[in-house]
Amino acid sequence: MILNKIYIHSFRNLEETEISFGSRFNVFYGKNAQGKTNLLESIFLLGTMKSFRMARNGDLIKWGADYGLLKGWVEKENVTREISLLLEKQGRKAKIDQKQVTKLADFFGSLNVVVFSPEEIAMVRGMPDARRRYLDRAIFSGDASYLRLYQEYYKILKNRNTLLKNGDTNGLDVWSDKLAETGARLITKRIAYLSEIKGLLGDFYSNIAGNGEEAGVIYHSHLPDKERLLADSGALLREALTKSAAEERRRGVTVVGPHRDDLEFLLNGKVLKHHASQGQQRSYILALKMAEIEYIRQRFDYPPVLLLDDMTSELDRERSRNLMEFLETKQMQVFITTTSLNNVMLKDAENYCTFSIESGKVLN
Amino acid sequence: MLYISKSLTKLLGELKKLPGVGEKTALRLAFHLLKSPANVNALAESLLEVNNKVRFCSLCFGITEDDPCAICTGDRDESIICLVEEPQDMLAIERSQSFKGHYHVLQGALSPLNGITPANLTIAELLRRFAQGNIREAVLATNFTVEGEATALYLTRLIKPLGIRVTRLAHGIPTGQDLEYVDAATMQRALEGRSEL
Ligand SMILES: [Zn+2]
Repeated sequence: MILNKIYIHSFRNLEETEISFGSRFNVFYGKNAQGKTNLLESIFLLGTMKSFRMARNGDLIKWGADYGLLKGWVEKENVTREISLLLEKQGRKAKIDQKQVTKLADFFGSLNVVVFSPEEIAMVRGMPDARRRYLDRAIFSGDASYLRLYQEYYKILKNRNTLLKNGDTNGLDVWSDKLAETGARLITKRIAYLSEIKGLLGDFYSNIAGNGEEAGVIYHSHLPDKERLLADSGALLREALTKSAAEERRRGVTVVGPHRDDLEFLLNGKVLKHHASQGQQRSYILALKMAEIEYIRQRFDYPPVLLLDDMTSELDRERSRNLMEFLETKQMQVFITTTSLNNVMLKDAENYCTFSIESGKVLN
Repeated sequence: MLYISKSLTKLLGELKKLPGVGEKTALRLAFHLLKSPANVNALAESLLEVNNKVRFCSLCFGITEDDPCAICTGDRDESIICLVEEPQDMLAIERSQSFKGHYHVLQGALSPLNGITPANLTIAELLRRFAQGNIREAVLATNFTVEGEATALYLTRLIKPLGIRVTRLAHGIPTGQDLEYVDAATMQRALEGRSEL
């Protein structure tokens, strides 16, 4: 999957521009706060309709403009499609080949992106919801039906929570059954995804860190009885709902289910959050992202594009070099932001396109 | 917004209460009506007429001018009843000309989020119809949404103990659809619900 060209209009501080990209490494360099990351963010938005910086439309649209417009020309299996995203104060409208896309599920997959940015470290140290969000998004990009399942689950959950909050038990068991059934399907898909990337994660981590450390990940469910979790998660979740009835009544929310589950990141069998250095944590997250890329490549036969934001501040010199060497062996398009070109190891110059960014202006 | 005419502003306000009508559409409709006074009278009359004559059938809660409705009083199979969320769902099934039984409009689907509980649906009336004893099968034709599915499950639990057969509309790939364009979730459901030949 190659993003050949992008058109940007009234987005953040960027001047209106159309940029053609190379099929391998594209490096955006310049001083801080000039617009490098905004450029990367525009690519992420075209792929996901979301900002990796959790920004709202008001922040994304250029100061004083009514709307912002992003267009990308994406080549996949020798076909180029034009995807566009109109950012208005009230919402976002997506088009593929000039046709309006109404369902989010239809939009996903037209440009698969995986991002590695300084914000990602929050995933290790932060609350479980950041890790769940990562996991769910990683699964959507490889499995379109997961989005519908996810939306269904959360709708059931909200309905059930409303009943609990109102103390209304008429019909509660129907919502409990639906929650258990849908939740079990969600858990099964999550566990299946993790078991698929587990081996990849370990390999990539050793490539980046370059030592014998072992990276692992486990799905941490609040449900007891790990043995039954895979085979019979529906019945298990249903029993757990029954058992937590008193607590639910008291608190007015559903206290068990995939919406409470978490991921446990491990290094040499120990919890990453408590037992690893910042460098190790960053390498881990990067390896996790690389595993996601490989997973998508294996499923669709083409890799997504990789966005590396401010990579050199994230990884030390040796890890950066390991990463660049490793990426050079992979047939994939990579976008990198950096404050100085010297930070990015250029081995094979013809693989690189460089763009300098100054006060929102992109110079080739 | 239109300081020039209070009545126009009022009309726009009323139009915007209609589903799918926003500021732009309301303006377009209002100006269209302004230009054709004959249409305005006809429209106003038919609105009033519908409001006066059309009501819900006291048996099935479908829409009708005569109560009970033509379907409830017609020569139809009394042993089978089809449960739908809205009167328009009933019309959709009637258009297919493939169902000869009776109907019951639930007037919605369970949706605690929107404040709709079993008490807000016409379930008590439905149970009264079952109590009369002629019905042997209930066809659940609620929507295939989270709310419709929850309603179907709720009704199944309620109706089955009465010794009545409960069935659900099949769902899957639409007729005339090329398989290659079917979305993943629909395909998954279609495979789960596959039938033996
Ligand atoms: Zn009737």
